[in-house]
Amino acid sequence: MTPVARMVMLNLRTVAPYRCQCLAVFAVVVLLFVNRPVALVPTLVLLFTATMAAYPFNVGDKARLETLYATLPLARRSVLFGHYGWALACYLCTVIAGTALALLLARLQSVPLGGRTLAAVLTLSWGTFAVNVAVQFPLFTRYGYTRVSVLSTVLPLAFLAMLVVRLHLSLASARSWLPWTWPVGAAMIVASAAVAMTLDRRRVHPRL
Amino acid sequence: MSNLAFALRGVNAAVSGTFALREVSFELPSGYVMGLIGANGAGKTTAIRCLLGMRAIDGGEIELLGHPVPGPVALRQEVGVVLDHTYLVGDWRLAQVERALRPFYERWDGDRYRGLLDEFGLDLRAKVKDLSRGMAIKLTIAVALSHHARLLVFDEPTSGLDPVARDELVGIIGDFLLDAGHSVLFSTHITTDLDRVGDYLTLIHDGRIVRTGTKDDILDAYRIVRAGPDDLNDLVGVELIGVRRTSTVTQALVCTDEAGLLGADVLIEPPSLEEIAVHIGAPAGRRKETV
Repeated sequence: MTPVARMVMLNLRTVAPYRCQCLAVFAVVVLLFVNRPVALVPTLVLLFTATMAAYPFNVGDKARLETLYATLPLARRSVLFGHYGWALACYLCTVIAGTALALLLARLQSVPLGGRTLAAVLTLSWGTFAVNVAVQFPLFTRYGYTRVSVLSTVLPLAFLAMLVVRLHLSLASARSWLPWTWPVGAAMIVASAAVAMTLDRRRVHPRL
Repeated sequence: MSNLAFALRGVNAAVSGTFALREVSFELPSGYVMGLIGANGAGKTTAIRCLLGMRAIDGGEIELLGHPVPGPVALRQEVGVVLDHTYLVGDWRLAQVERALRPFYERWDGDRYRGLLDEFGLDLRAKVKDLSRGMAIKLTIAVALSHHARLLVFDEPTSGLDPVARDELVGIIGDFLLDAGHSVLFSTHITTDLDRVGDYLTLIHDGRIVRTGTKDDILDAYRIVRAGPDDLNDLVGVELIGVRRTSTVTQALVCTDEAGLLGADVLIEPPSLEEIAVHIGAPAGRRKETV
């Protein structure tokens, strides 16, 4: 197992005691959107994935896990990349489970969901995820979860709103901009990881 | 490869505008225990952070188990860190602690972990957050010993522990040292912990090393002097460390080679570790007085 994979596993172990709360968030979203399967996956990514991805930072602040990371035989780079890897794993699991559920619900309700619609839904979900992670993770890395939890919730939404307004993005013109979401999202996450690495060097952890 | 567990040589590290480690140098040969003694805020934790590569230094050099610091990440396989607080998820059960940490250590010994928990009276089903301070420290020691660390670094582990728990901890350190090549750095301001296990001592005050060496050398290097209120006023060439004056007596610590300059009416005694720590850690206003 690579160091980054070990860190992803550690994040899984970190959130494991809170799995019931996490699954409750998933269940509530599913219940709220049971009649709108098309919107299910993006909403799950916006609410459930975002919560799950940030949870190791949240628990880490309370349990001083930065000290644990510093004592483990693990390079700082692996710790940071492990957080991003954990977020991607959360995204993939959410999308797989959410898509399966959405398809099932759509079939039960005779709602058309397939082909282009599904591709557009997944692309939007990716964009939402990428903006969330790209904005939040450098902030968590530099300041810790507790200090920026509110700001880190508002900022990605503000950023998304700004993109829609500034770039005149609309559903009517989706065919032209939607395909760019995948590479732009990936580039944002890579850039975010680089920024997080730089900011991390400046962070002085308050206690051992 | 040197036979040192660690060495800090001329280390400088700025912590804040008002505090820094200055020219800090001390070293420990493998197989021994060093006590790092200083008052709160003296620089013990900062020195440990520098030693473990958790804080960048501005000058000097650090060697840890034969490698320069910062060194290879694998070096942390050899070091166990025990602090005055836990740094594990509070809702982990002790069995989950093992599952979380085992993948990181090449020589993790699950049988030893469970054996140590059993020996320390810790239940695998207990949650980290439900452990008392003493139990939590035992847990971190069990983790450190389960990956076969060669160097244990304790940062104020006994502060807040009751005497029984402190005694147990000293016993655990003694057992750890039965294996050749195992070393311990023990930072504390409770000097009685070191009476039993300390081989070497380093006294730190205000970010500077006051003295470092074997325990016997440190004890031999100082004398406690007591005299009447005015008896220590007219001496030349004697540095009084941490002078305490009352209406009936003046007490201070002096270097042994200066004690001979004091008059016959001054009571001169070997100090305890506690007395050395108290006088060296005295507030700046009464720390040093040359008469």
